[in-house]
Amino acid sequence: MFTRFSDIDRLFGTMDLLRQRLDNMSTDYNRPYRSTWLMEDGFLRANLYQSGDAFEMRLEVPGMDKDALDIKIQGNYLEISGKRDHNVPDGYKVHKTERLNGTFSRSFTLPDDVDGARVAATLKDGVLYLTLPKSEAAKPRQITIS
Amino acid sequence: MDKNTEIAKRDDRNIEKTRELYEAAPAVDIYENEDEILLVADMPGVVKEEVSVNIDNGRLALSGVRKLESGGVASWEEFGNVEFVRNFSVPQTIDVQNVKAELKNGVLTLHMPKSEKAKPRQVEIKTA
Repeated sequence: MFTRFSDIDRLFGTMDLLRQRLDNMSTDYNRPYRSTWLMEDGFLRANLYQSGDAFEMRLEVPGMDKDALDIKIQGNYLEISGKRDHNVPDGYKVHKTERLNGTFSRSFTLPDDVDGARVAATLKDGVLYLTLPKSEAAKPRQITIS
Repeated sequence: MDKNTEIAKRDDRNIEKTRELYEAAPAVDIYENEDEILLVADMPGVVKEEVSVNIDNGRLALSGVRKLESGGVASWEEFGNVEFVRNFSVPQTIDVQNVKAELKNGVLTLHMPKSEKAKPRQVEIKTA
């Protein structure tokens, strides 16, 4: 009797383990790095955060100086473009190039309009931090019931 | 009966594993000339204190940990906290004492000079 029970238990135990693993996979869906991933398509990854007043956007832009980046904003349309040089040093033999080079551009349609005049951007350690304050009309408002 | 107790005891069902730091391999460019091997790796968001470069016995191990402060409520997140890890085999002829590394704008540049005896040399033929 005990033998049979633990056999069934073992069967479902394995299925449970499989289900747990699959569950973890789906919650990890919005995280780009699973076991090991080469970042070939990893350039310009972006995170968007929002609070009631502003958006904060972060982008991975390794190896870029601030003059090489171009940020345009219009209403709720944000576009980030730039150029990373093929900086192959002279006289060197090339074994491997995996880092992406050339012009790039990525555009976003934000959920709300942004006040273009008050946008702040900082570039730190290869990550671009953008603070995008929402325009007045888009801010959440308290409505009192009369 | 002994077999049952062994099977029933499955610890990994009970222990909740906290998510470990993800690992990613950074994109690298490798160049070489007569004097040195140059390796450039993209590690955006990593600061100098969190990078470790280890050369030992013909093996180069790069590691850089990125921890970003949480920005608030996320609408979408495509990158997060990650450890950049990548290992390489390097020739034994690298002069390990003089390896130089710099981290700028999230890009790690590693200069590995070749030791004198490994540099190409013209051998002079003497007439006997």
